Amino acid sequence: MTMPLLQVENLGIHFGPTVDPVKAVDGISFSMQAGETLAVVGESGSGKSVTALALTRLLASPPARYVSGSIAFEGRDVLQLREGELRSLRGKQIAYIFQEPGSSLNPVFTIGYQIREAIELHRPEVRDVTAEIVHALDTVGIRNPASRLGDYPHQLSGGMQQRVMIAMALACQPKLLVADEPTTALDVTIQKQIMDLLKDLKRTSNMSILLITHNFGLVAGFADRVVVMFRGKIVETGPTAQVLQNPQHPYTKALIECVPKLGQKQHRLKVIDYAGIQ
Amino acid sequence: MNSISLSQETYTQRLWRHFHADKFALNGLRIVILLFIVAALAPFLANSHALIRVADGHVSFPIFLSLEPIEWRFLLYVPLAGLVYFFRHRFIAHPGIFILAVIGFIAAVEIFLALTHPINDPTNDRDRPASFKLLPPIPYSPIESTPDQFSPPTWKHLCGTDSTGRDIAARMLHGARTSLSIGFVAQSIALTIGIALGGLAGYYRSWLDIGICRFIEVMDCFPPLLFILVAISLFESQNNMFYIMAVIGLTSWTGVARLVRGEFLRLSSLPFTLAAKAIGANDFRIIVRHLLPNALGPILVAGTFGVASAILIESSLSFLGFGMQAPTPSWGDILSDARRYIDFAWWLAFFPGLAILITIMSYNFVGEGLRDAVDPRLKMK
Ligand SMILES: Nc1ncnc2c1ncn2[C@@H]1O[C@H](COP(=O)(O)OP(=O)(O)OP(=O)(O)O)[C@@H](O)[C@H]1O
Ligand SMILES: [Mg+2]
Repeated sequence: MTMPLLQVENLGIHFGPTVDPVKAVDGISFSMQAGETLAVVGESGSGKSVTALALTRLLASPPARYVSGSIAFEGRDVLQLREGELRSLRGKQIAYIFQEPGSSLNPVFTIGYQIREAIELHRPEVRDVTAEIVHALDTVGIRNPASRLGDYPHQLSGGMQQRVMIAMALACQPKLLVADEPTTALDVTIQKQIMDLLKDLKRTSNMSILLITHNFGLVAGFADRVVVMFRGKIVETGPTAQVLQNPQHPYTKALIECVPKLGQKQHRLKVIDYAGIQ
Repeated sequence: MNSISLSQETYTQRLWRHFHADKFALNGLRIVILLFIVAALAPFLANSHALIRVADGHVSFPIFLSLEPIEWRFLLYVPLAGLVYFFRHRFIAHPGIFILAVIGFIAAVEIFLALTHPINDPTNDRDRPASFKLLPPIPYSPIESTPDQFSPPTWKHLCGTDSTGRDIAARMLHGARTSLSIGFVAQSIALTIGIALGGLAGYYRSWLDIGICRFIEVMDCFPPLLFILVAISLFESQNNMFYIMAVIGLTSWTGVARLVRGEFLRLSSLPFTLAAKAIGANDFRIIVRHLLPNALGPILVAGTFGVASAILIESSLSFLGFGMQAPTPSWGDILSDARRYIDFAWWLAFFPGLAILITIMSYNFVGEGLRDAVDPRLKMK
């Protein structure tokens, strides 16, 4: 078997006091092959974002404490890298898109300038940077990209802002794209457009995608495999179809039932019954 | 309201639109610019040497021969800066040629200044016979003693003269240079230190923040004027202009540091800072290229108020007799002369006092206008 792109082994990340800490991530292990799409699903506070940020050690320590385990990206342990090595990992190898596209873009710079910065940081060999920026914006489905380079983030809609964030991530040609709840701040129709865009990217490039979400509805038809997190632990993992059809853990069942289904009459929204899970 | 055109304007355009609507701020800015022009042209507005002099069929330009090196630099480098700004787009396109041209120009000026010496000619062209002479509007030098002592304002001496017969109008014009450049340079020093320390504290937090905050608190324990007086008396032998600038700058950065720290604390916890880190930007880049531009509005406001207070501090120092060395004219210096003769020579206090008042007020109007423009929510309409 080939070496996985990403191999997380017994990762533990704590916050707060050393006695009785907040165990945001509590000994999780998972791996991703190159080109694979993995979804991490869990409710709010289950440690998804902490896991995602830890992949390039974006969580400042302190306050975070990396207490155990390893994160091997292409065989190198991220937790052992020096600051300079981390910087060339961030963006170039592992790029992120975040939940709030509006505030993830710098308000005082044009979008063209911000994408240019990403390219100049990681791809100094590019001769015609402007053409590359236009190409990136074109790839994420922004119409008339050349005329939008001078736009400021506040001049764009939320969906377009998220497209710009994706363009910025793609401009560095990363091997792994970490999308941390990329559609949570957007309305439902835009959600679908962004998910379709990510699907397209998955099809046309060999990039791996780590999708983080609390919504099982986004996972079907997108991810190859699913990891379900609950209170810092992985409670279930497996191929998407299998987990969706035959969930083993009661928490997974509850999460799947939370997704409202079209055409199906529901008198009340389902809520998770924690007493049954414990 | 035309919301479409509003959403298309850039940050600076919005700033300028708000600023422009504020009549006080706009007129304050006009006065400040006027003061700077007057200060820059002071040697040509008040000088005992003629601009052009024709005698015995011989044409000469006595003013230029008497200019000090610093005045030459002012005269040549300010237009140079203007030119560079005007051609900035071509500058970016051909940086090599432009940098060479600018360096060549500066080198030429400096070599010229090193090889020539200003002619220290004590005679004045007012009284010297000539077939033609063009005198400046105020034909007196600021350090020249005329026979008219304590002359009240007349057509000859527009703002009167002091105890040694020096023309107050000439001293005021040249004093404007002192006051304005001290305000500007001292505040630049304060801004540099304040931004650096405040930025480091706000970005890195933890022990660095604690250390810098305690340092700021210690600095703030001393009344600034007392601090400056002590510093000046320690190095009494060297109280020239640059020394005063440095002392004022080094003691008035704490306000800026607090402000920048607060802004950086806020900005560095916003998602775009994390996003910048996530594309692999280093700390220096994040601080200088991502956070600083976002904090520029409030910094500009603080800087404007700071210039005003630096001018005030310099005037107080001169008034107390700790300011510039004797012949250098400054507004506070004229005021301090007025102290002794106030019972009959009202003009000695009136004109410099008025100049200080107008300058400080203009700067404060500009500062308030900027503050409102940076944060339009403050201005309820
Ligand atoms: N900077 C921090 N300081 C202290 N505790 C933190 C910090 N960041 C995260 N935590 C804790 O880590 C736990 C996991 O947080 P995380 O942000 O990973 O949740 P999440 O699964 O991403 O939730 P959401 O769906 O709301 O984004 C939470 O209980 C939170 O209290
Ligand atoms: Mg999260």
